Amino acid sequence: MTEPVTAAAQAPGTTTGTTAPRPTDAVIRIRDLGKSFDGRRVLDDVSLDVPRGRIVSIIGQSGGGKTTLLRCVNLLERPDTGTIEVAGETVHSDGRIVCRDLARLRRTVGMVFQRFHLFPHLTAVENVMLAQVKAGVPERQALERAVVLLRRVGLAHRGLAHPDQMSGGEQQRVAIARALALKPEVLLFDEPTSSLDPEATREVLWVMRELAEEGMTMMLVTHELPFAREVSDWVAFVDGGRIIEAGPPAEVLGRPQQARTRAFLTTYESAE
Amino acid sequence: MTTAAGLFQVPWSDYRSDLLDALLKTVSYTAVSFAGAALLGLVVALLRLSRVWPLRALAAVYTELFKNIPLLAIIFLTYFGLGSVDIRLDVFTAGCLSLIVFYSAYLSEIFRAAISGIHDGQTEAGEALGLGRLSVFGHVIFPQALRLALPGTNTMLVDLLKGTSLLVTISAAELMSEARLITSSTFRALEVYLVISAVYFALCYPLSQLLLAVERAIRAGKPLTPGRRRRLSTARALLAEAPAPAGTPSPKEATA
Ligand SMILES: Nc1ncnc2c1ncn2[C@@H]1O[C@H](COP(=O)(O)OP(=O)(O)OP(=O)(O)O)[C@@H](O)[C@H]1O
Ligand SMILES: [Mg+2]
Repeated sequence: MTEPVTAAAQAPGTTTGTTAPRPTDAVIRIRDLGKSFDGRRVLDDVSLDVPRGRIVSIIGQSGGGKTTLLRCVNLLERPDTGTIEVAGETVHSDGRIVCRDLARLRRTVGMVFQRFHLFPHLTAVENVMLAQVKAGVPERQALERAVVLLRRVGLAHRGLAHPDQMSGGEQQRVAIARALALKPEVLLFDEPTSSLDPEATREVLWVMRELAEEGMTMMLVTHELPFAREVSDWVAFVDGGRIIEAGPPAEVLGRPQQARTRAFLTTYESAE
Repeated sequence: MTTAAGLFQVPWSDYRSDLLDALLKTVSYTAVSFAGAALLGLVVALLRLSRVWPLRALAAVYTELFKNIPLLAIIFLTYFGLGSVDIRLDVFTAGCLSLIVFYSAYLSEIFRAAISGIHDGQTEAGEALGLGRLSVFGHVIFPQALRLALPGTNTMLVDLLKGTSLLVTISAAELMSEARLITSSTFRALEVYLVISAVYFALCYPLSQLLLAVERAIRAGKPLTPGRRRRLSTARALLAEAPAPAGTPSPKEATA
């Protein structure tokens, strides 16, 4: 976990687009991704790999395109250009969704949102069950797995609570259990602790650390730089829709090469 | 006492079976029309939220049109109006159709507001879990929208029940028509309409109280279907079992 690996397509210090030695088993492979909203370029030639069992963190200023990048991976957002491969299958190529089975893609890629988005009309355990039942898992089995997952995030005692009866940290842990329910090959996290207080943040990071130790593949947008530094195998700094700098956390966070990365880290540290 | 005795002189026992028939008629009109109006209202609401603009426009025209015409005019149009161009509907059909058309316009507004009141994140969370469009609607959006729509919908149901009394104008054999018949044979308008009003009250008040209770139960997250009740009690049993040995408790749990 601690040894830095050549986790992504880019060598540290390069700006964008250059393809460096490719890891053999990338769960997510993004190449030259471009996306505009209303004529405004939000993602520009982004290339990034998330190898199996690795954790890749995306950091950067607000509005830089981090969320958009993450949402492109499971096609909640439709990119304009470039290609995305997930688990060896091309799901998007140059503005066309080539994924034959969108539902399967989304079962392969779990997602955790900043604002949890639990289903408020269902109890925690039902939140974790729903997707399984819809995917054809027998009800009893889905329930058993939901209980196992709630236990894993330390919330078995809250299984019958509704989201509005739970704290933010509890809700986010249920959301993580829900995202794990279909045994995804990779989890996407979009600022999972940004709307949480420090105590709740600790709870959620504890769960994520456990997942990391179990070898879960993760792509993570975060402002928790110490956490990113601790768990990530690779960090990409995104600004203005481009990957400005990417590499092992010790490099990008410790010895940033790019002026913009340094500026970002400086403002971040002074804000702390 | 004398005034009360003087007030009640209609031989009500003679009318018991007629009144019962009329009551059943009122209930039938209400049940059929409400089911129809709710279904059509949902369809119109979905059309108004459609991505295809002609569908949206069509639904908007429908809603505005029937929201802004008196129910009585709609009743006359469907029964007498259509009848005059040789589209003769029987009274029950014409009555239900009028109520459906009128109330679906209102219900579609309530449903539309409820559906668009559900945060986009809910749809995205559903989609991100691999649920199809239908599942997202059926399991995520609809149950939540239903909660939001319930108070307004319940008001409309009671309003519809009372609205059936307008069908007296086409002699629909419901409570109000029966009241008019009894009045014309007994000439006791005050007594008859007092009694009929009491019958309406006796129908509407418990109904609205019941609907309020349902609202409260749903808001409290109580399982209303046997299937869900069973699922939750199985869940309770499984959750209560001894926790798995592996894993450290979370910081929260450790202190709790
Ligand atoms: N649906 C949309 N329509 C139009 N513009 C959008 C949309 N989604 C995002 N944008 C714009 O794209 C840019 C990138 O947004 P994005 O949410 O990806 O940034 P971010 O890096 O996640 O920011 P933050 O740290 O604030 O979450 C922003 O300028 C945003 O306003
Ligand atoms: Mg974001």
